[in-house]
Amino acid sequence: MVKNAVICAAGLGSRLGFDIPKCLVDIGNEKLIYYLLKALDRIENIRIVVGFKEKEVINYVKQIRKDVLFIRNPEFASTTNSYSLHLGTKDLQEPFLTVDGDMIVDHDSINAFINSCETGENKVGITESKTDDAVFVKLNDKGQVIGFSREENTGWEWSGIAYLQNKLIKKDGRYVFEDLIDHLPLNSAKIKCFEIDTPDDLMYMRNHINDIVIST
Amino acid sequence: MFGRTRDISCLLLKNKSVNQVAFCFDLDGTLTKEEILPIIAKEVDLFEEINILTDVTMKGFIPFTNSFKLRVRLLSEIAIPRIVDIVSSVTIDENLKVFIKANKDNCFVVTGNLDVWVEEMVQSNYGCQLYSSKADIKDNKIMGIKNILDKGTAIKELRNKYNKIVTVGDGMNDCSMFSEADISIAYGGIHEPADSLVSLSNYVAYNSTTLVNLLNNLKW
Repeated sequence: MVKNAVICAAGLGSRLGFDIPKCLVDIGNEKLIYYLLKALDRIENIRIVVGFKEKEVINYVKQIRKDVLFIRNPEFASTTNSYSLHLGTKDLQEPFLTVDGDMIVDHDSINAFINSCETGENKVGITESKTDDAVFVKLNDKGQVIGFSREENTGWEWSGIAYLQNKLIKKDGRYVFEDLIDHLPLNSAKIKCFEIDTPDDLMYMRNHINDIVIST
Repeated sequence: MFGRTRDISCLLLKNKSVNQVAFCFDLDGTLTKEEILPIIAKEVDLFEEINILTDVTMKGFIPFTNSFKLRVRLLSEIAIPRIVDIVSSVTIDENLKVFIKANKDNCFVVTGNLDVWVEEMVQSNYGCQLYSSKADIKDNKIMGIKNILDKGTAIKELRNKYNKIVTVGDGMNDCSMFSEADISIAYGGIHEPADSLVSLSNYVAYNSTTLVNLLNNLKW
């Protein structure tokens, strides 16, 4: 059973062009992170790493879910997502689900992923490649991840979602997937999810939000 | 197993190579679910006045020491046993009480409040050690304040014994404690923690179940 989830929402999100954190952009009648919190509704402990405009993020999130633990990354402008995840998990004594804070996940799909996670395993969420600017995953015939690559488009990419054992994320890593390389091969499961990186991504999501996050 | 670890650590104390974690808690508004001084103030019909002072102090408009002196002066007419009674009736957070009682040897209440007012309440609810301001008393009345606690000093003192210090608080007078600590948690149990305090913190929590869960993770 997945007991802990850590959402990294510290970054600037400057590619999107708004002067607000990506997790606070309006989609439908709510803000992006609302859908993520609803998708993770049944997870007991939610941690969110905050940085850029932390007070705005905290004030919005605590109205939706008061029991969220906020972890501060004051160095958000000069550190990576991997460092945020390290801060968010360094004291945690249990395995956790990690999700990027700029993501819309299909609720049924993330629930199926959560249900499939087993005690003691590391499991990587993979999703169909949508762009050429992705970290692609190489899979073996058992569906396990055997490598990551930025060049070779295998049709599947690293989703930014994973179920990981504690103490796995190093302090000085550049990317989360690099910390996973030592643990290959890794079990994987498919997830329907969408990253909001560009204005086009946002436009698409604003038009399709009701098709993706329905079941709650 | 815990007992055994502690026995060993006592032997190692002199070498400062202990691996013990201290947990330091602000009292008013952190462990208690209401501010203590305004409740005492109701007794002498100074509720509004004390409330205004408490409010502007929490917001950082008046330094804690000035405001505290004023508030004590206003309340010094009340006999100490009466105040001790009132303080014992203040609502406290049960989750935090359970945590502190279970870890009382490594937990500390660090409060600017007066020793004669709060020590009985701290002893009966938590059974842990107390750092507080000290009153000058005569015939069960407060004559003045001998010492207003600088919370940072308390943390420096604990450094001799602990190599990891965790602090929890909500107000401006917790800033010096947070600056000296290894890990700080701004806690918004009853009101929004002060912005300056949040900027010195590693974690922010608004719910005591969440806070206790974190404290249990930080024990190691």
